Amino acid sequence: MSNLKSILLVEDNPQDRELTLEGLSEYKIVNSIITVNDGVEALEYLQYEGKFKNREKDNPAVILLDIKMPRMDGIEVLEAIRKDDKLKTIPVVMLTSSREEPDLKKCYELGVNAYVVKPVDFTEFHEAVKHTTVFWAIINEKPPS
Amino acid sequence: MLMSGTIIYDSSGNPQYISSTAIDITERKEAEKKLKEAKAELEGRSYQLEATNKELEAFSYSVSHDLRAPLRHINGYVDLLNKKYRDELPEKAQHYLDTVTGASQKMGTLIDDLLQYSRTGRRELKRSEVDMNMLVREVIDEFKTDSENRKINWNIHKLPTVYADNTLFRQIWANLLGNAVKYTRKKEVAKIVVGCKEDINEHIFSVSDNGAGFDMKYVHKLFGVFQRLHPETEFEGTGIGLANVQRIVNKHQGRVWAEAEQEKGAIFYFTIPKFKEEKL
Repeated sequence: MSNLKSILLVEDNPQDRELTLEGLSEYKIVNSIITVNDGVEALEYLQYEGKFKNREKDNPAVILLDIKMPRMDGIEVLEAIRKDDKLKTIPVVMLTSSREEPDLKKCYELGVNAYVVKPVDFTEFHEAVKHTTVFWAIINEKPPS
Repeated sequence: MLMSGTIIYDSSGNPQYISSTAIDITERKEAEKKLKEAKAELEGRSYQLEATNKELEAFSYSVSHDLRAPLRHINGYVDLLNKKYRDELPEKAQHYLDTVTGASQKMGTLIDDLLQYSRTGRRELKRSEVDMNMLVREVIDEFKTDSENRKINWNIHKLPTVYADNTLFRQIWANLLGNAVKYTRKKEVAKIVVGCKEDINEHIFSVSDNGAGFDMKYVHKLFGVFQRLHPETEFEGTGIGLANVQRIVNKHQGRVWAEAEQEKGAIFYFTIPKFKEEKL
């Protein structure tokens, strides 16, 4: 567990980003979280494009993906990831504001690994983020690269 | 005028004469025109309905996402403030913080209730045979843990099987029985009766209790969204339950109404049409 795996947090809202990171502050993994602002940036990161051209070649252990974002939303990102041979095995967890039936259906059809609704209550939110991240980034074994 | 002619032949096949008829079809034309107009109007209306439904869907989607997010932020930051700096704050400031927390939690509940209400409205009915005896028993079992210290005298009559949406009917019972449990809280022994009568076309279900009741003067408000007839300090709740019940019953082509007397109790009725086989 000394070798920290990276987590990609795709979240457009600065408050949500801060609260998510705050929720994980007691864990070491907080240091290995990379945050990007929207779907376009997420794909640039994953496909080593734009400002991420020279980053170290390594897929994140998990992608935490918000659904509603400007430019390219989370569902479109998920679709692009599953279509890309180099990315399709990365575990993806949707982190979203509400449980909307059509979104839920679409995400599972596209092969999402988990779908988590951010609770309004902060203590519950904190717990949800903690459990999700700890599971996917520490307990779960990454797919072989 | 509609004209038609037929040539009449003799037995050897030679044309003999032409028989013709003329019918005045002004009325028929008129009727056809009216039918066409009615059809066009109906198509227009159903198009409008569909558009309204889509708008509603977009609306509730945006409510759930866009309103929940800032609310979560209010909650989150107040919580952080509480966790990290509460001890440094004067008592009054702590009280303000608690008020913010309480209000934002209340708003969260209201948004969730409204969304649930709107989802119920949009849901397409999935009908199947529903044994009301079983459903009522299951719902009552769910209340048992919450009302362990209470004396509740349940009297459940034999109930029929109906053709309805099981998930939605569970909501009806959960609301009506939940209300009966809630509003009898101040009685030493609560008496709740679930019954059913039938006539040729429908089943009439009833839930009666000996609880707080309400003033019949306000009965017209009873089934409105977020309408309450009791202060929240006395009986908790947002006022969405009965609005939901009415929506579900109406979706099943039934009716719902209530009678009550203050401090004596209330009785709620709802109907569901019988399915065809039952009427025979």
